[in-house]
Amino acid sequence: MNHYVVTETAVIDAPLGRVWDVISRTDRYAEWVAGAIEVTDHHGVATVGKTYAERNRTLGPLKTDSVWTVREIEPLKRRVDTGTGFAPLQDVTNTFEFRPVQSPDGRDTTEMTYQVEYTIPLGPLGLLLDSIQQPAMRAGMRTSMANLNTLIRSEDSGTGRR
Amino acid sequence: MTDTQSTAAADHRGSRTTDVVVIGAGLAGLTAARELVAAGKSVAVLEARDRVGGRLLNHDLGDGQVTEVGGQFVGPTQDHILALAKEVGVATYQAAVPGETVYVNDGRAKRFTGHTPPDLFALPDMGIALARIGQAAAKVNPAAPWQTPDARELDGMTYETWLRKAEITGDAVDMINLFLNSAYGGEARDASALFSLWYVSTFGNETNPGTMERGTGTTGGAQDSRFVGGSQLVAQRLAEELDGRVHLSAPVRRISQDSTGVTVVSDAGDWRADRVIVAVPPLVASRIVWDPLLPAQQDQLFQRLPFGTLMKCVAVYDKPFWREDGLSGMGLLRGGSPIREMFDNTPPDGGPGVLMGFLGGKEWRKWAHRPAAERRGAVLRCFAQVVGDRAFDTIDYVEQDWTAEQWTQGGPTSVAAPGVLTDFGQWMGRPHGHVHWAGAEFSPYWNGYMDGAVRSGRTAAAELLDRD
Ligand SMILES: Cc1cc2nc3c(=O)[nH]c(=O)nc-3n(C[C@H](O)[C@H](O)[C@H](O)COP(=O)(O)OP(=O)(O)OC[C@H]3O[C@@H](n4cnc5c(N)ncnc54)[C@H](O)[C@@H]3O)c2cc1C
Repeated sequence: MNHYVVTETAVIDAPLGRVWDVISRTDRYAEWVAGAIEVTDHHGVATVGKTYAERNRTLGPLKTDSVWTVREIEPLKRRVDTGTGFAPLQDVTNTFEFRPVQSPDGRDTTEMTYQVEYTIPLGPLGLLLDSIQQPAMRAGMRTSMANLNTLIRSEDSGTGRR
Repeated sequence: MTDTQSTAAADHRGSRTTDVVVIGAGLAGLTAARELVAAGKSVAVLEARDRVGGRLLNHDLGDGQVTEVGGQFVGPTQDHILALAKEVGVATYQAAVPGETVYVNDGRAKRFTGHTPPDLFALPDMGIALARIGQAAAKVNPAAPWQTPDARELDGMTYETWLRKAEITGDAVDMINLFLNSAYGGEARDASALFSLWYVSTFGNETNPGTMERGTGTTGGAQDSRFVGGSQLVAQRLAEELDGRVHLSAPVRRISQDSTGVTVVSDAGDWRADRVIVAVPPLVASRIVWDPLLPAQQDQLFQRLPFGTLMKCVAVYDKPFWREDGLSGMGLLRGGSPIREMFDNTPPDGGPGVLMGFLGGKEWRKWAHRPAAERRGAVLRCFAQVVGDRAFDTIDYVEQDWTAEQWTQGGPTSVAAPGVLTDFGQWMGRPHGHVHWAGAEFSPYWNGYMDGAVRSGRTAAAELLDRD
């Protein structure tokens, strides 16, 4: 059983509360999570123990239906969900962590750490598979955080913030 | 005076009298009124809103500049609106801005010039689709689509079903939906195949048969030109000419008729007339109280001609910055994107910069109920895919949701589902006693467009004068 942990970090150019509000909305993942084509079922603001479902793009043209369960919420700090439907990836755990940081010019911004943990059974083949999928997953996580940054910027534009 | 006439007159004491009441001060009603006044009739135009123009609406940008949040484009073969605008002194200008168009598929943006989006997968299919649509639309008589060979079969399925039956695959259907998103405020699955082929057959005039290319085209097509001062100016000029005959804030609630004439009950008082022209959207007309009732078939038809779901989203910038980057501001965005089609809507003298996108059909259904800030963000992200991140630096942002307008109830026009045209279509323009019909939805050419509205106004006036 091969266990993997993939972590990416980025700074979102918005105050922590604003970032938290957006990532807490289970109906909004298709708007910023790379590869989430559509949220097919959701429960609004994330609640521990409840689920939401997505249609995701996996490798190439392949699509999959995934179901996520919200496991932990530490308001404004940490959010942990587990997901099914990503075969051959198993035991998928998704963690978001946040920390307020000041930008060099004194704006309130947010450091976001995006972590995905999973196992791939299949022994050596699993290793091979991971060497193909992990770079794409990392790129997707970076894109997602860039998308989140753009989403918040787009909603706050024209309100005099910039 | 006969007995019945004196009774009718007594019933209607206190009501104003006129030869003709025209209901609705959109292009159709105003055109009809103009023709009738020219023929020597006394006319009262009753308009529900506190403004004229109906589906034409200018948005004030300040400094005497406007941009349109309703209908705006005109083009070749739309002879009636073009001639009318000229008569009332409203000039046109070329809508297209020099520069490259951007095609966005799956989040990836590609610049291109000309009419053909750079998509190797969609193109061959699109070619087949256009050829099939062209052949089938050529068999439709724009004045009587129910007489088309195989009319019942074509009217028994949605346009999407017909396209897929013709082996047109997902990519091309999505490209057609891109056009229908603004043209129907819907998509191919909302409309009957017969209705859609008929709609294409109306993109022309008596000498130039309708084609899909003319309907979807920018330069040389239906999106060729715009009006200096905004399209609503045409309606405003017509109303000025009518010199006090247009009564605003006068929604008509009830229309009663007997052998001697018609009584029209509005919030601004009652009118008694020999004849009436109703120039309001079909579904809105079916909600007026009719005494006697409309013929049931006609009422059923009007109930089955709802407008699509369409909103215009407009972002204003200090200048049209994308032009410096060699971009036309026009974007075509494939499925999944809230905005499917966008244009540079900057006033003709070059400032301020305006981008306009259609949020229609399925996308409207997904986004209309979302919080305004979230919707605006989604719209600006689409604009940014086409013109870059400066799209976020707006000085103003405006939305016009036509579904929220009581006197329009959707946009841009009526879309008929399967079964409507063949079962009820023939009832479309039939006079109901002393009542005649006008409106863009009553025209055999450019149905649902400004040109269709003007044509219908002229036809209704001529029909009325003919019966006198
Ligand atoms: C977003 C959008 C984009 C469009 N783009 C284009 C385009 O680019 N080119 C083009 O050619 N066309 C376009 N159109 C369509 C075009 O605007 C219409 O076809 C045309 O303006 C219709 O004119 P009309 O007089 O038939 O109807 P309307 O403009 O709908 O006028 C009907 C009038 O009747 C009034 N009314 C309704 N009920 C009552 C009542 N009970 N009593 C009194 N008054 C009443 C209404 O207030 C309205 O003023 C667009 C439409 C929309 C909504």
